[in-house]
Amino acid sequence: MAKKNELELLVALQDLDMMIEEISEVKRLGFSAEREEELTNAREELASKISKPLLYSYEKLKIRYKRAIVPVKEDNTCLGCFVKLPTSMSSIGRTDTSVIYCESCGRILYWLF
Amino acid sequence: MDNEELTSYFDEQLFLPDLEATSKDELLKEIVNQFVNVKYLKNSDIVLEMLKKREVLGSTGIGKGIAIPHGRTTSASDIMIAFGKSKDGIEYDSIDGKPVNLIFMIIAPPQDENNMYLPILGKMVEILNKSKNRNKLMSAETFDAFIDVISKG
Repeated sequence: MAKKNELELLVALQDLDMMIEEISEVKRLGFSAEREEELTNAREELASKISKPLLYSYEKLKIRYKRAIVPVKEDNTCLGCFVKLPTSMSSIGRTDTSVIYCESCGRILYWLF
Repeated sequence: MDNEELTSYFDEQLFLPDLEATSKDELLKEIVNQFVNVKYLKNSDIVLEMLKKREVLGSTGIGKGIAIPHGRTTSASDIMIAFGKSKDGIEYDSIDGKPVNLIFMIIAPPQDENNMYLPILGKMVEILNKSKNRNKLMSAETFDAFIDVISKG
């Protein structure tokens, strides 16, 4: 697996956060989910690889919106606030690996196409 | 959620009745790659990592030859379910220690419109708990036959 850029690290962090958040529901459905501590340790390790200002920004957005990063589909709409993104932003977002925020709601954007 | 509604989350392009994988890692990779091949997912590495982390938490091999690897990922925009079958069975570290033959991979976005992810997961467990459904799924060779089992589940 290639070394992740900061955006990919953030995406992996959010994926882990969502998993941790739903552990009790998944257990209730009868799934095995006993090693929560290993997951929280993995979360800490992952978070330590992200720069402090970016991690702070992620945590703040998470408190405000529950999901700090939102996917962007082909229609170039932020799936957080459903505002259409400028074409110029999309062409950068599709190819660039830097962290881009929605100009409308401030969430971090992750292009899926 | 009723069974008919559940069938709308399946897609023939994600129906894999003859998996080639012989190990758990290969299995997860083969199914995730299919999601990428049919353009439901862009980044297989991120999704594979999420699924492997889920297995660290506890095996999604729920016994009786069934595995339901699942999770939310920022790399998805819609809920999608892939079905894979292995006639020979694949070692999966299941709760009963037995290999898995029927695999349902459920990928969900960070937030889904009607919060269907957990009800879908619950419905799948309910359907697969019935031995008659498991037997029928083992013999379903076509997507239509498969959907018929799920819809009557």
